[in-house]
Amino acid sequence: MTKQPDKIKRRTTVTREPKTRNGVTAVILFGLVAGMTGLAFASDPLYRIFCKVTGYGGTTQVAEAPAKSKIVDQMVTVRFDANVNKLLPWQFKPVQNTIKVRLGEQAIAFYEATNVSDKPIVGTATFNVAPFKAGEYFNKIECFCFTEQVLKPGQMVQMPVTFYVDQSIIKDRNTVDVKSITLSYTFFASDDQSEAEKLQTTQFITDEKDTIISREVVPKG
Amino acid sequence: MSDTAHADAHDRHDHRPTGWRRWVYSTNHKDIGTMYIVMAMIGAIVGTATSVAIRLELHEPGIQFISDFQFYNVLVTAHGFIMVFFVVMPALIAGFGNWFIPLMIGAPDMAFPRMNNISFWLLAAALVMLVIAGLIDGGPGTGWTVYPPLSNADYHPGMAVDFGILSLHLAGASSILGAINFITTIVNMRAPGMTFHRMPLFVWAEFVTAVLLLLAIPVLAGALTMLLTDRNFGTTFFSPAGGGDPLLWQHLFWFFGHPEVYIIIIPAFGVISQIVSTFAKKPVFGYLGMAYAMAAIGVVGFVVWAHHMYTVGFNVETRAYFTLATMVIAVPTGVKVFSWLATMWGGSIKFDTPMLYAMGFIFLFVVGGVTGVTLANAGSDIAFHDTYFVVAHFHYVLSVAAIFAMYGGFYYWIGKMSGKQYPEGLGRLQFWVSFVGVNILFFPQHFAGMAGMPRRIPDFPDAYAGWNMISSWGAYITVVGAILFFVVLWKTLKSENAAEANPWGVGADTLEWTVESPAPFHTHEQTPSISTQPAE
Repeated sequence: MTKQPDKIKRRTTVTREPKTRNGVTAVILFGLVAGMTGLAFASDPLYRIFCKVTGYGGTTQVAEAPAKSKIVDQMVTVRFDANVNKLLPWQFKPVQNTIKVRLGEQAIAFYEATNVSDKPIVGTATFNVAPFKAGEYFNKIECFCFTEQVLKPGQMVQMPVTFYVDQSIIKDRNTVDVKSITLSYTFFASDDQSEAEKLQTTQFITDEKDTIISREVVPKG
Repeated sequence: MSDTAHADAHDRHDHRPTGWRRWVYSTNHKDIGTMYIVMAMIGAIVGTATSVAIRLELHEPGIQFISDFQFYNVLVTAHGFIMVFFVVMPALIAGFGNWFIPLMIGAPDMAFPRMNNISFWLLAAALVMLVIAGLIDGGPGTGWTVYPPLSNADYHPGMAVDFGILSLHLAGASSILGAINFITTIVNMRAPGMTFHRMPLFVWAEFVTAVLLLLAIPVLAGALTMLLTDRNFGTTFFSPAGGGDPLLWQHLFWFFGHPEVYIIIIPAFGVISQIVSTFAKKPVFGYLGMAYAMAAIGVVGFVVWAHHMYTVGFNVETRAYFTLATMVIAVPTGVKVFSWLATMWGGSIKFDTPMLYAMGFIFLFVVGGVTGVTLANAGSDIAFHDTYFVVAHFHYVLSVAAIFAMYGGFYYWIGKMSGKQYPEGLGRLQFWVSFVGVNILFFPQHFAGMAGMPRRIPDFPDAYAGWNMISSWGAYITVVGAILFFVVLWKTLKSENAAEANPWGVGADTLEWTVESPAPFHTHEQTPSISTQPAE
């Protein structure tokens, strides 16, 4: 046991300094927590960029029309798949089930959507390809999924998608076995229904039977 | 003022608050540790009740008594959440950590005693929120992984999931504050001579765990916040309708979730190291290797998360990487198991209850580790995904093994905490009942799982009836073991068998054994000086 005066002396010298030291440590650690929280939120945009760049998860690429010289003779089968979220009262199906295209050759396919409800609805489609590893090589030039679609009650539209499969798919040892690619879409009711509401108010003026040709196209975003 | 007043104040320092104030306003690391342990016991009763309900339902093919399948899902969810956040974490990390970190490093208390109090009461509030979640709008039937779209507003429209999210937010805040407290204490308040390389392995374990908590919990909090806004405020982080991706949730969740399993098991490693060294009467073999193995497990634990989601369609390189990285974890883990065995090798082993539990832990952890290596393979995991093989695996490693570390730690330290020594015979009986029970409970689940028995489904084909019935009987035996534990607890607290300051003899050379039993309200007011190598 040390003597009492010693003890007091030590308390006064020791306690002050560690308190600030503890404070500094705590501030650093809270900073770490804040940093990790920030990273968690940053992960959302980073993840999207990552998918877009790498074709991860079957994310397709957006491209200009391919050069004619890049066409090779090897064929690939493209299958078409259509789904509708249960909250969207539309019918949605591909017009053709499969297309055979040469690698690098531009092709066009059609999907058909019908609004079976009694009010106009804005829909938006998400998409990917299977197998996922083909996403990197699947290029869309034009696609109805780039925009939102507005369908009036009972309206039926045909929507095109133009695409090509990059010929370098046969140069990648991971994808050289890919003989068929399934392009899949799922239609959801869009979060932004303002275009549909505009239509609803003007609906009684226009003729309801002008189906097929007239189609409202709203740029996304 | 000055010296006389100061001395007076110091004399009154030994005054301890009484009644409810002592607990509710507590800033004393030992009282807060005790409260965490009591909370874990309460949680364990509820968590065990849910698992027994699950096993009763799965006792035979067909539906026994849970005809509401959402309720079955809620039971599974509650079991997971409660066991992880309100049993294992409060007991192993916060309970033993609060009690023994300051005692082992020679500090008078935690660095931030008031923050310590907040940590505890935030967790209590979180438990209340979780109970509310279970009682309203049919409860959250999402599983502890809370994957969207099941957890979004389409499939869980009520407020149950929102309450569950808020509960996890509070529990997370509690853990973060606790972790900051632990790290600050360990970094700044070690007694002179107690260098990092002389710290007991339990303190090392708590330190690594606290760092993991600090890095992992904010990611969970971020992801939960996104889910909350997706559910309530129209954001679409995880909803494809607005350009989000439900897979992002899985990545974020497992970026938290995989470190979380090490957060659960690393403190258990620490407890087991103390016990093995004490009862083999030898320093831990390869002390530094043991400490850095835990650190290595913590680091690698952050880059293996996608092995929980092999089935989502990764390309072959991604799967190869995550398989490899996952298997790398077997190396530091192997170092630990080897060192425990090497510590026992040639030791003068005393087979008291804590040592039985430590050896039980090593056995269970190795069994779970072996199936872990099996599951690390992307190829085989695609077959085993969401089967009872996975259930058996993770219950071996981080449920039963963690529970055994808790039991072992309890028997090891109860003399120090309560001042009473447990009845040895009853303790050993409690060990054997539990050991036999958990193995009968979980080993057959490997076979059921390999045959294809799915997780989280209340019914199954007749083909799985045999293993399921054996497993259910194991659960009932385990419950007998748990009841025996409470008998032991009761007998200990009522007994006249006062514990000595050091009931274990020469093997117990860490600082907590230098203070009397029960540990006085204030300890290490005179900073101890460490001149010898203590921990090993």
